[in-house]
Amino acid sequence: MKTLSIAALTAALFLGGLTDASAQDRGGVMTYGRYTDSLFLDPVLNDANVDIWILTNIYETLLNPTDDGLGLEPGLATEWALNEAGDTVTLKLRDGVRFSDGTAMTAEDVIWSLDRARNPDNGIWNFVLASVDSVSAPDPQTIELKLKYPDPTIFSALSVFNTAIMPKAAFEAMVGATDAEKAQEFAKKPIGTGPFMLDSWERGATMKLVKNPNYWDNGADGQPLPYLDGLTFEIIPDDATRILKLQAGDIDGAEFIPFARVAELQADPNVKMELFPGTRVWDVIINVRPELDGRPNPLSDEKVRQAMNYAANKEALVQVVTYGVGTPLSSFMSTTTPMHSGDGPLFPHDLDKAKALMAESGYPDGFKTSILTIAGNQDDLGISTALQQMWAAIGIELEIKQVDNASRTDQYRAGTFEMRTGGWTNDIADASQITSYFAYSPTIDALHSGWKNAEVDALFEASQKRWTRPSGRNSSRGSRKSSTRPGRPSRFMKRPIPWRLARM
Amino acid sequence: MQLASFIARRILQLIPTLLFILIVVFALVRLLPGDPASAMLGDRALDADVERINRELGLDRPLPVQFAVFARSVATGDLGDSITLKLPVTELIATRLPITILLTLMAALIAVVFAVPLAFVAATRRGRMADSAVRGAFQVGLSMPVFYLGLILLTVFGARLRWFPVGGYGDGFLEHLHHLFLPALTLALSLSAILMRNLRAAIIEVIDAEYVQFARAKGLRPRLVLLRHVLRNALISTVALFGLSIGTLLSGAVITETVFAIPGAGRLMVDSIYARDYPVVQGLTIALAVLVSLTFLLTDLVQAWLDPRVAR
Repeated sequence: MKTLSIAALTAALFLGGLTDASAQDRGGVMTYGRYTDSLFLDPVLNDANVDIWILTNIYETLLNPTDDGLGLEPGLATEWALNEAGDTVTLKLRDGVRFSDGTAMTAEDVIWSLDRARNPDNGIWNFVLASVDSVSAPDPQTIELKLKYPDPTIFSALSVFNTAIMPKAAFEAMVGATDAEKAQEFAKKPIGTGPFMLDSWERGATMKLVKNPNYWDNGADGQPLPYLDGLTFEIIPDDATRILKLQAGDIDGAEFIPFARVAELQADPNVKMELFPGTRVWDVIINVRPELDGRPNPLSDEKVRQAMNYAANKEALVQVVTYGVGTPLSSFMSTTTPMHSGDGPLFPHDLDKAKALMAESGYPDGFKTSILTIAGNQDDLGISTALQQMWAAIGIELEIKQVDNASRTDQYRAGTFEMRTGGWTNDIADASQITSYFAYSPTIDALHSGWKNAEVDALFEASQKRWTRPSGRNSSRGSRKSSTRPGRPSRFMKRPIPWRLARM
Repeated sequence: MQLASFIARRILQLIPTLLFILIVVFALVRLLPGDPASAMLGDRALDADVERINRELGLDRPLPVQFAVFARSVATGDLGDSITLKLPVTELIATRLPITILLTLMAALIAVVFAVPLAFVAATRRGRMADSAVRGAFQVGLSMPVFYLGLILLTVFGARLRWFPVGGYGDGFLEHLHHLFLPALTLALSLSAILMRNLRAAIIEVIDAEYVQFARAKGLRPRLVLLRHVLRNALISTVALFGLSIGTLLSGAVITETVFAIPGAGRLMVDSIYARDYPVVQGLTIALAVLVSLTFLLTDLVQAWLDPRVAR
């Protein structure tokens, strides 16, 4: 009841003159333009997407998500199974896997890596393995996970970056008294099983990855992967400069292409501009607390929120912000999320209905409210100015407040904002993560909106500890149904994940 | 002797200035809304994680204690570790600040190379075509936004003509100079416009002064009159303005470094402020304060050389 959905985009942007891998050309270095540099290359203690996108080239997980993001495929484990009671997971490790320093990956490395990843003192991703009670190796090629309770997300969890396998001995040989200190040293020259390894890193300028000579997998030509000799990442913060460098042929690919430039680049014969489905969702979060700053909050009135949703033309917003690349959402999660449901648009544009709802609400004469946006963010500005006009039609005066991200997060976490623009991408190929943030109140008060529904909370909790299928899951349907029923004025915009460079 | 005591006096004055900056920057970064942990963890942060990380960073301790720890480590030359990059701040400054200094120096040099001769041309041909042309061109340079000017230069001289690289910093000193030319030019144009206007006005004022007329009347060659009497005296105020502009140049470097993809201190500063990376913001501010203070000292020395009355 707390959010406004805007629209969904089922496309992502990838841009470049990449060689077609099926041609099996070998050798060469790909240079890729990034908008900002990575911070810290430790899979367990890191916090940022800019790290994850590099980590997936250096480290590997036991399982991998399939290319469509909806299923799982083998990674460092070739087989995985769940026992009848649903409380023990057994995995068979792949033969002949070596770390980039040449040492063999052992069951001991796997146990140590998973134990480190699930340690509650380590990072903020340990929740992914919260159901794990113990990790052991009955034999050198088998890993067994005992669960505290049946966890339908456990296999997806083993494909999340923080459960990547690291070399225990090499890590522990680092100087430093604590795990964090050792990680600081280890992250300067990470050793993983992934196709690439870090060669050099000039902060803020260039990061060079070279091929891992010990990589286990072979390409279509039967020779060891990867095809490329190396990957060079150049940091080019300015969008226009990044595109200029691509057009000049200085770089082979680039990320974060502004929507305004998509059509132009699709028409450029020297550039291959690809759009592919992502899990990005854009939304406007509404604070529903009855009082804000000591005054009654009109946004706590459900009829007001429904009116706002009907008054907002999502098709128009998709045009304004994404130049038509996106699509309006039919649920609060993207259609690329496993177990997504919903086929019609939420709150189709209907100004008469919106006006009628306003008249019935406690604020028939309208009111003033505000939205927090990131200063300098064109997408935020596009959404907010369009909404300003759309809501003026039902008597709502919207003030656009532009702040920096940390200031907005501060007001967001304190629950003192009125509205804000928001965004989401999935980290786990499962519906549970987004649901736990958007609808389940104990996580972060349903996006810090103050929205709480006991039925939703109970359904979500039940769905997290029950298997309805032995090898997969479909049990969170109940919680999603209740959270997307008509009373919930959700309006979301989904946007592409800019790029994923997990498998070259 | 007089000069030595002048320098000593100025360096002593630096100490309270730096102490003041230390306190101000420590307080200012903490007055910003938000904290490093929630800036780092972002919108999905859980309260427990934010509290745990702020505790690990020692940010749950009373402010006076935090300041004492900070001041003591600064006194020993240790500026702490970056919260987001997990690297010593001194190491970050040592790799990023020289890039910005080189960029600023190149920009200052280009600005002077443009401004001084053109100011002469404009001043000596006052009110004529050449004067209007020079002033008009600089008006455009002054009013053009840096990011826009930078993109035009990149498109024309980088992407089209291929005379210069399209952004980046390159490897090796010569490549650095090559990469930094366009950004330095971008930075220099608005500065040279300011310097040119100031110098032109100063020359006009001096050129009609009685001592210049006297020098000419003595029969000194016009070149010598211009260099020894006109330029030397006209430069005094321009040098002061130039020194003050170095601070502006450093802040202009932030935008230029972004447009031209240069890994300098300006970008590090902006990123660190957004990330509420207190140690980096504090360390860089101190480093920049020292740098600007040294520039002012150097400016004063040059002024003292031009006009010995200044040092008295």
